[in-house]
Amino acid sequence: MNYDDLITLTTDVGCLLLANGAEIYRVEESMQRIFRAYGVETGEIFAIPTCINVTITTPTGKPVTLIRRIPVRGTNLDKVERGNDLCRRICHDRPDFRAVRRELAQIERRPVYGLLFQILAFAMVAFFFTLFYGGDFTDAYWAMFCGAVIKIVCHNMNRFHANSFFVNIVASFAAAALAMLAAQFNFALDTDKVIIGALMNLVPGIAITSFMRDLIAGDLMAGLIRFTESMLVATAIAIGAGIALTMTRMIWGV
Amino acid sequence: MSFLPCLWAFCACVPFGAVMNLHGKTLIFASVGGGIGWVFYLLSSPVHSDIMQYFIATIAISIYAEIMARVFKMPVTGFLLVALLPMVPGGGIYYTMEYCVIGNNSMFIETGLHTLGIAGALAMGILLVSSIVRLWTMIATENKKA
Repeated sequence: MNYDDLITLTTDVGCLLLANGAEIYRVEESMQRIFRAYGVETGEIFAIPTCINVTITTPTGKPVTLIRRIPVRGTNLDKVERGNDLCRRICHDRPDFRAVRRELAQIERRPVYGLLFQILAFAMVAFFFTLFYGGDFTDAYWAMFCGAVIKIVCHNMNRFHANSFFVNIVASFAAAALAMLAAQFNFALDTDKVIIGALMNLVPGIAITSFMRDLIAGDLMAGLIRFTESMLVATAIAIGAGIALTMTRMIWGV
Repeated sequence: MSFLPCLWAFCACVPFGAVMNLHGKTLIFASVGGGIGWVFYLLSSPVHSDIMQYFIATIAISIYAEIMARVFKMPVTGFLLVALLPMVPGGGIYYTMEYCVIGNNSMFIETGLHTLGIAGALAMGILLVSSIVRLWTMIATENKKA
């Protein structure tokens, strides 16, 4: 067996899971299982949200190591599900590497929603959360635009690889500024509800959920990284909205 | 007591789950979890502490997510991420910032700590349920071996 191929392939599977938002223990366990399926009992895997380190020892006693950085992470639960499924099938049938590669490429090519759909989805999230937090339909209507603005800003800034802290500040600023602007034309508007509804799109729910799950599973490093991440996002949202509030108050003296 | 927010929570979860590429039945059932969470939040209002209410609701959601993950044979994360969104204290973060901006320091500290408390309650709820489930699966596999 070609152990270089094995380690590269397994890391690709792990990378697919990690980059699309799977928990650390799932990534490590999946990779371990694949190694076992191909008869390597010595897989040492260490994964954190930004990097996977893995070493296996071949039966002749030669260690093989691979380090893979993960520069871009997102949340695509469809790909996590498929990756998980693929992993289960690898362990069960032990297909040859070329078949696995084909499957991996297929998963990578799975369709994602277009930009327009995503903008619409962000708008709907903002709409319903404004209602959820007790706003009326006028507020919700304005929140839709704020939600759409958030996605447009995020998309355009991510194209130029701006850091996520800055992206969150600008997106939250844009949403809050739009809400305050709307309030100037419609005095019955409850700006608090509109802004909160729109900002629910940015709130670090994912990070809060997964940092705890990582900590319980004993992945302390990963847990701390995600905890820091959620704190940074929350701070960025507050800074952005704060700037917008202060500025509009200065301009209009509300 | 109005249960309308539960419906809004469900509706808000659907597009959010869609952005994360959940499809079809999984998307709907994950979003139902968001609604269920808020039902439990409202039902537990007699405890008169919203941090406790968030804790109870999170436990309900986590149990629901674990069950659904087994029914659909999918990772728990998907259900959990979507269903927990309405619980995340977006309002708390916002009001904390607002008190900070207008310079009301005592309210700033109070709201900030309260928001942290809610986030802690969420984390504790998830911790409790997934620890118990892990323990339970461990015991189940041990028994199968014996």
